[in-house]
Amino acid sequence: MTEPQDISFEGQLLALLPALRRFARSLARSDAEGEDLLQDGIVAALSRRAQWRGLNLRSWMLAIISNRYRNSRRSHGRHPTAPLDEALDVPVPQAEPDPIGRMRLEAALNSLSPDQRMVLMLVVIEGMPYQEVADLLQIPLGTVMSRLSRARQKISDTMAAENVIPLRRQT
Amino acid sequence: MTAHPPAPDEDELHAFADGLLDEARQAAIRLWLADHPHAAKQVADWQAQNDAIRKAFAGHARRTPSDAAMVRQPRPSPRFAWNRVAAACLLFLTGCGTGYLISLTQHPDAAAPLQRTSLPQEAETAYLIYASEKRHPVEVAAEQEAHLAAWLGKRLSYERLAVPDLSRLGFQLVGGRLVPVEGGPGALFMYEDQQGQRLTMLVGRNAENRETSFRFATSGSVETFYWIDNGFGYAVTGEISRDLLRDVAEECYKQFPA
Repeated sequence: MTEPQDISFEGQLLALLPALRRFARSLARSDAEGEDLLQDGIVAALSRRAQWRGLNLRSWMLAIISNRYRNSRRSHGRHPTAPLDEALDVPVPQAEPDPIGRMRLEAALNSLSPDQRMVLMLVVIEGMPYQEVADLLQIPLGTVMSRLSRARQKISDTMAAENVIPLRRQT
Repeated sequence: MTAHPPAPDEDELHAFADGLLDEARQAAIRLWLADHPHAAKQVADWQAQNDAIRKAFAGHARRTPSDAAMVRQPRPSPRFAWNRVAAACLLFLTGCGTGYLISLTQHPDAAAPLQRTSLPQEAETAYLIYASEKRHPVEVAAEQEAHLAAWLGKRLSYERLAVPDLSRLGFQLVGGRLVPVEGGPGALFMYEDQQGQRLTMLVGRNAENRETSFRFATSGSVETFYWIDNGFGYAVTGEISRDLLRDVAEECYKQFPA
């Protein structure tokens, strides 16, 4: 980056927003839910900025978003939301050219518990070492490992089960 | 070759799949996997999952026009913002209903005083609804300014409609949309400064009035300057200082063709 860096709290937060938006979306079941989660996290961070110690703002934000996510999932119960406004979502250049593959992946991710999904996304999307995930979520390292392992197993199982239905044309 | 390195446990295989080990250990496990196809398949499966997940969400690491507004302090809570929007909608619908009833029962001239006051109200409502909108604040974004001006100009039958340039005052165009103004088509332009503070500029046909004076209306923290010129009503609305808003109004007035 050649632009002069804005080191104010808001400036740093603004610079982090794209990455935080991606993380929030990776936890959520729809674009709308992801954006709500992001906004919720930002509002919480702004109201609690006095608690920020001036260290790693990214980890602090990821922890806040994870917490909000866990709380909102708890209050939602386990039933999946079916977003009606999905068609209105801002089109994102779709990285997955195969919509059925994308749907299967979404279904597999939605089958995870919120705790499993948080660990998986911190590792995969954020590239975080396991000990950092443990610190961030304030859980033992062993719990991180078992959640990660179960999440991966569950995704494999779901994807394999979906394969039984011949949705994919052989080419 | 040295003795066999210790076989990895499952945790270490995850760390290998996630690329979290140092180079030497990463290489050692790669060798070990060559002799252990079952574990190798497992690791390949995890890595394929990682790739698919990263690909699926990569496109979401993007900026939106309202990012700056989002980190601006202090923000009302979303619930509070929704109340405001709901109130604005109600006000808007009430206004429309009243306007419609009056237009049914009265001669246009008799309705003129009401219309004069409804312009700032409509401007304020449009501001409250759209300036707080994070995901779809505008229909046509600033990048398509020429298209925006042509499209809205056509809908308003305003031949030389040009989008005012407020960059001198620190406001950049976000975009625009079509909105109802006094029962006809109107154009709403939205601007944003570097802090994400937004303001809106409303233009609509106004057949009955030929006033040109600047008027001022305020409602809570939302302020509106409006004027009527050559059959068109104009209004600028925002939550900025009255002086700055007046500068904006004058700038727009200068830039719209007389």
